[in-house]
Amino acid sequence: MTALERSAGPGLGPGSGPGSGPDPIDEYVAALAAVLHGPARAKARMVTEARDALTDGAADFAPHLGPGDAARRAIDDFGSVEEVAPAFQRELTIAQARHTARAVALTVPFLMVCWYWTTAVGQGRQLPHHAQVLAAPLGGIAAAVALLAAASLAATGVLARRLPVPDRLPLMVAWTGTTAGTTLGISALTLTAVSALAGNWLISGLLGVLTVVSHARVAASARACRQCARLPVGRPAI
Amino acid sequence: MKGDAVRGHLDALLLAALEQGPLHGYAIITAVQKRSGGVLELRTGTMYPALNRLERLGLLRSDWQSAGERRRRCYELTDAGRRALGEERTAWRELTAAIGAVLDPSPAPGPAT
Repeated sequence: MTALERSAGPGLGPGSGPGSGPDPIDEYVAALAAVLHGPARAKARMVTEARDALTDGAADFAPHLGPGDAARRAIDDFGSVEEVAPAFQRELTIAQARHTARAVALTVPFLMVCWYWTTAVGQGRQLPHHAQVLAAPLGGIAAAVALLAAASLAATGVLARRLPVPDRLPLMVAWTGTTAGTTLGISALTLTAVSALAGNWLISGLLGVLTVVSHARVAASARACRQCARLPVGRPAI
Repeated sequence: MKGDAVRGHLDALLLAALEQGPLHGYAIITAVQKRSGGVLELRTGTMYPALNRLERLGLLRSDWQSAGERRRRCYELTDAGRRALGEERTAWRELTAAIGAVLDPSPAPGPAT
């Protein structure tokens, strides 16, 4: 006996027709969307697919149950929001972590190379001593966060076929992003000042703006990642 | 048979359902139920995070496709997904052979006299 055939059994109450109240599927999808947090596109996709599944399920059950009960039966089969949200959130949290890690892994090395070229190579001389003292640890931190971000991308991608994603990885990515954002902010201030003092106004100004914009994007992504990492997530259903 | 019974085999079930060609999410669930003769009842809501995870791992790819007036996300196996399905099948045969040998042992030959 299939699930569909069982659903037509006598244990179910009388159906409620259309117009008897708010659409249960709409209410369910709204409740699910309200508790999920993550990248907008990924969240929209998952919520849309949930709605499609509920709509398809209700259409399957409708000939046996009537529209209202068919929708409720489809929701029962899907699982309550409390049951399914942790598994959805786990994927959204990993998606947000990958988003943040990608932003760090691409942005930080690019900007650091640009700054190095502009302030040292571009001017044909070394940085002033006080700038070198600051640039060395900033460069080290930038390299470390870029490597961590790249490793996190691998750990949540192809490598995850063999190794489970550690539960605390998204939080680690969030703080990596926060560190990267702070580093970019300090770099923007100090290196713009150094470059400007050297009279290289145009390039240093453009690069300063680019760094500030990157800082804002990385910091916002890291903040969203911290928020996602604090939410309860379920173990993958494998 | 509820979800707990298929825990550990969900990836293989989803990959196998897609072996014949692309399907959208609900059709994957229906295919698993039909191929199991209605015995396996999968909690619909657990499928979508699992499909998302398999796509993240590069075992599936997906795209929005028009189906009548609606757009649906259709999934299909990647080459890595086909290889993973083969590995899952091999692991399953080894497991069932081993468990079958324990649960239903054939009479051991008697000692030679």
